[in-house]
Amino acid sequence: MSATRRVFAAPSTKVAAFVLLVVLLLTITGGLFAPHDPLAQDVPNQFKGPTSGHLLGTDYLGRDTLSRLIAGTRVTILGSFATVALGFLLGVLPGIISAFLGRTSEFFVMRFIDSLLTLPIIVLAVAATGLFSNGTGAVVIAVGVLLAPRFFRIARAETLGFASEQYVEAAQLFGASRFWVIRRHIWSKVLPTLAVTSATSLGSAVLALSSLDFLGIGVKAPAPSWGGMLASDVQYLYQDWSAAIWPGLAIAITVWACNAVADGLRDGLGAHAGGHGATGEQAPAHDLDSLLTSELAGAQGA
Amino acid sequence: MEAGRISIGTRTTPSYERGGPFGFMRGIAPAVSGRVLRLVLSTLTVALFSTLLIFALAYFSPSNPAATKLGENATPQAIAHLNHVMGLDRGFFAQYFSWIGNAIHGDLGVSWFSGVPVGTSIKTGLPVDLSVTGVALVMALLMGIPAGIVAGTRRGGFLDRGINAISSTAITLPVFWIGMVLVIVFAVKAKWLPATGYVPPSAGLWPWLSHLLLPAFALAVNVAAVVARLLRNSLVAALDENFVVGATVRGLSPRRILYRHVLRNALAPTVTIIGLEIPQLLGAAVVTEALFALPGLGQLALTAAQEHDLPVIQGVLLVMVAIVLVCNLAIDGLLGWLRPATRRKHS
Repeated sequence: MSATRRVFAAPSTKVAAFVLLVVLLLTITGGLFAPHDPLAQDVPNQFKGPTSGHLLGTDYLGRDTLSRLIAGTRVTILGSFATVALGFLLGVLPGIISAFLGRTSEFFVMRFIDSLLTLPIIVLAVAATGLFSNGTGAVVIAVGVLLAPRFFRIARAETLGFASEQYVEAAQLFGASRFWVIRRHIWSKVLPTLAVTSATSLGSAVLALSSLDFLGIGVKAPAPSWGGMLASDVQYLYQDWSAAIWPGLAIAITVWACNAVADGLRDGLGAHAGGHGATGEQAPAHDLDSLLTSELAGAQGA
Repeated sequence: MEAGRISIGTRTTPSYERGGPFGFMRGIAPAVSGRVLRLVLSTLTVALFSTLLIFALAYFSPSNPAATKLGENATPQAIAHLNHVMGLDRGFFAQYFSWIGNAIHGDLGVSWFSGVPVGTSIKTGLPVDLSVTGVALVMALLMGIPAGIVAGTRRGGFLDRGINAISSTAITLPVFWIGMVLVIVFAVKAKWLPATGYVPPSAGLWPWLSHLLLPAFALAVNVAAVVARLLRNSLVAALDENFVVGATVRGLSPRRILYRHVLRNALAPTVTIIGLEIPQLLGAAVVTEALFALPGLGQLALTAAQEHDLPVIQGVLLVMVAIVLVCNLAIDGLLGWLRPATRRKHS
């Protein structure tokens, strides 16, 4: 079986990949497929339940919920991709290099990463937008920086496993440089695991960015975003609670799809979930890195 | 180790376990105090880095408090004078050390806008956060640990698959959405519980708890799912260990083996992940506070962020980091108790 076949072997992965494909399509096309103008108000028709004209009903200003949901996809998903890309860029290479550091510098680098992990993502993002500028850019940078420790720790844990392999040792004996070893032996083997991490991180990023939109940080009203739609619908729960259900479902389904694709990638690409290569020492079960590499840590971002 | 050369085959343990820069203490200090000392030094280093980060965030922000405070008609001289009075014209480290020194003595400064001491605002908000996250943590453990044990001891069974399906769904749900559904069901429809507000415990146990049940449950769902899944997986792994076979051969009852031997080992990863979840829980509490109109630290930070109120933002972040570090120390102690091997390894 080819690698692609193995990745999509489970039916849940196929469904999840289809969901992500639809989400991506909506991200690219923006509001093109929206049946109505997402910003068009029709106040007399507020709080209407699902009808043939408005498949998911209307909100407190009579705006079409489905159209706002479709139009809000782009900003949430693009932001999440940018966040994950930033976390990847900031985390992976330092993580790989950190495996080859001396003891003292390693101690301080690890404590620096620990200190990033002590900061709650949401609170730091709130603070960063307050101190710098309140916009999607500041939110993406703040969340991306705090996702970086996850990439760092996983890249490092994987590298530590592969660096103790005999072929690496052999290359060393033949005089290979540190850079050559990373490029030739480490990089391609760390990538599958990092693909899994990226997929789960994408889910975390969607959750984090939606939470921040919900708090009114990031996307500015009236532009639609999934979290922002929830925030405005919450004010009118006593009049009509149905409109508030849909954006939450959109977020949950997208996050589920990210996690399911991550599971497929892990099974199909032979990425590790905890332990290391054949000769690598089995990581102790309470080790933070192996926990982060395992499937559980991925989903929790917000 | 020599710099500039890759040492191979020895790099699978992190530096603090190999000794790190404080490895020399291994020979000096007795076993237990060596472990404690190393833990204290690690914690202090993390505290130093995170406070530096918090301070740098504010120091390098483009906000100009003196100009904001004096209004549009302020002369450059007046702004410079006020900056001098507020001590903002000093260097990075001078400002950092006076900030952290005051903070250690309980003085977190004064809000630039309301004039209220930051410590006072935090004292009002902190009990709300501690109540919500505390109740949430208890709920998460009460749901997650039994679910994990049930699933782990019935591997592949109906209950195992059911719990797995529920927990993998629960992990994807945004906290604020769970909270909203709870409000719709229990406050809007059934009218059993209040949807918003906070009542201090001095007003009575039930009034206090009734205001916390919905927000705490919303927070607990994700953590419970993580705990259940992790505990299930470590139980499954631990039940395959040789010592379980040994205990069975010695004639111990399955119940005794599970609760006295297996669970103790399997709980360690769960305890570690709970430590990792605490910052996330505090972050998610901010969202829950907004939804349930709870006057906690998150609301304080949110208002302060909108007003660019530096001392308040710094104070809230500092208190949160302190909470996380204290929890990490407690978790480390708990891990040492759960796994005597981690204690012995350092001796």
